[in-house]
Amino acid sequence: MTTDALYAPARSHVAPRNRARGKAGIRWNTAAGHVVMVVLSIICLFPVYWMIVSSFRPANAIFETTLWPSAASLDNYVHALKAIPIGTMLLNTFLVSAIVTVVQLFTGLLAAYAFARWRFPFDKAIYTLIALTWLVPFQVVMIPNYRLVADLGLLDSLAALILPHFAGALAVLMLAQAMRSFPTEVIEAARMDGAKSWRILWEVMAPNLRGTIASLAILLFISTWNEYFWPLLLSRTPESSVVQIGIQMFITSEGTAWGPLMAASTLASLPILLIYVVLQRQVIQSFMKSGIR
Amino acid sequence: MTDAALSQPLPARAVAVPSRRTNLRHLAPWLYLAPAAITLIIWIYWPLIDAFRLSFYEWNMLPTSPMRFVGWQNYANIFALPKFWQALSNTLVYVIGLLPLAVLIPLGIAIYTHDLPARSRNVYRAIIFMPMIIAPVVAAAIWRWLLDPGHGMVNEAISLFGYRPVRFLQDPKVAIWTIIGLTGWKLIGFSTLIFSAANANINPSLIEAARMDGASRWQIIRDIRLPLLRSTILFLTLMTILLGAQWSFSYVHVLTGGGPLGATTNIFYILWDFGFSTMSVGWSSAAAVILFLGFGAVAFILFRLMDRYSFHDN
Repeated sequence: MTTDALYAPARSHVAPRNRARGKAGIRWNTAAGHVVMVVLSIICLFPVYWMIVSSFRPANAIFETTLWPSAASLDNYVHALKAIPIGTMLLNTFLVSAIVTVVQLFTGLLAAYAFARWRFPFDKAIYTLIALTWLVPFQVVMIPNYRLVADLGLLDSLAALILPHFAGALAVLMLAQAMRSFPTEVIEAARMDGAKSWRILWEVMAPNLRGTIASLAILLFISTWNEYFWPLLLSRTPESSVVQIGIQMFITSEGTAWGPLMAASTLASLPILLIYVVLQRQVIQSFMKSGIR
Repeated sequence: MTDAALSQPLPARAVAVPSRRTNLRHLAPWLYLAPAAITLIIWIYWPLIDAFRLSFYEWNMLPTSPMRFVGWQNYANIFALPKFWQALSNTLVYVIGLLPLAVLIPLGIAIYTHDLPARSRNVYRAIIFMPMIIAPVVAAAIWRWLLDPGHGMVNEAISLFGYRPVRFLQDPKVAIWTIIGLTGWKLIGFSTLIFSAANANINPSLIEAARMDGASRWQIIRDIRLPLLRSTILFLTLMTILLGAQWSFSYVHVLTGGGPLGATTNIFYILWDFGFSTMSVGWSSAAAVILFLGFGAVAFILFRLMDRYSFHDN
């Protein structure tokens, strides 16, 4: 599912002034609009802010409700690092997310290229079948998947977290859509020049799809980073798991050690928040282009 | 590239290459398709068939224990289970509860704030999108802290106004609404942005023309904006109906475990519960089949409706 058709870069047209109403009316409307947005912004931002602030409060001040901590300390971080191997887990999460992103882009490009370049028997049906995987809730296939991983002897391993994500409907569909709008003349010209299909894909198509690829990469990386359900089924030991499971273990083992919990949560979100700070526009766009999943 | 093609002796090419080339041509798309297709078959389509098969067996997932064929027994048991019906009706509550947060309120906000200056809009945009990229588990951890009945910030604020603290996650009457609220927290900004983008896409001359004709603000919204936003509204409604209960899984799992007294369980959680807490593969698979068929039917009907009622503005 994509919202591609729905999305358009916010057109910066200035709303035509309402002639029936005076300037005061407009100003009042704008002010009320700001109030609505500020309230929504506070609702969205405050929990994240509170997580970071709480993570720096010393243990004896954790129940303080001042917006700005009266004293800051790193004790919570020290405690969190001692309680769970958060460094290893962050590294694991990074590895899993990076590999999934690269592999899924690769298989997605290949499959999308097959659809864009050739007509072959059942091509429409296969395309539909790929799209329909979106309709299979993960909970429905989790037991057979779990058994397969167990049979392969991959329980509690990073490989098992990566394998089912070797391909994804979203990557195939988005890339196929992008390739469809690629001018066929260019491909024809390359073929006339004797380029093989493999080279056309990597030297002609892929470079021109940079925008779509980048936006997919952001999306895949963030959603893999945040994935919870599948690691939850497989993880046994913290050392071979991802950071989301670390947070969950933390909650179950020391549920009300709020400071350290907030420190661990901050560490787990830090990479994503950094990506967001740097690539804010692109991140928002890639999520909006591809729907919610 | 051209040189290589030209330097080949022409006759040889005309005779030898075609058969090899047509062969390759037939195979090529399949080779390109293979990695993705094989992955999806192994991890989605085959498991789907396997789930159907397992739903007729009794088994506890231990490799050493025997699998016993029980026919439709698992289905009969599930339909006779009050917990299943509770989960099903909760799923409905989740969806209905999420619709205002994921569709109605964002729609209202997007329309109401559409003429804010672009500069401040970009700032709001960056802020309200944030919950979307926060991991559900992290969000659950934060909200657990904020909603703590003893010292949580929210209850501190409530007690400031002289009310008694609310046991957001422990009170069976409140818990499901808390989970819905948290799921909505993650989506509300995102939905607002989707509506804002669609709203900004409406041709300003349409609005201007209506204004010239003396249409009021409300008339413009009712007769121009809402009809033009219809496909976006339908799309987000569809997503919420199909995925709403699924989005709440992490919160349910981390915060309430389906409790108190099953008050926050839903059909997705119960599947996990059957499969990995009680280890009954047959029950979980039967529930999975029921869920899949139900989900598919709902999706089918919704897509049909969307096709029929969405308005194409071109």
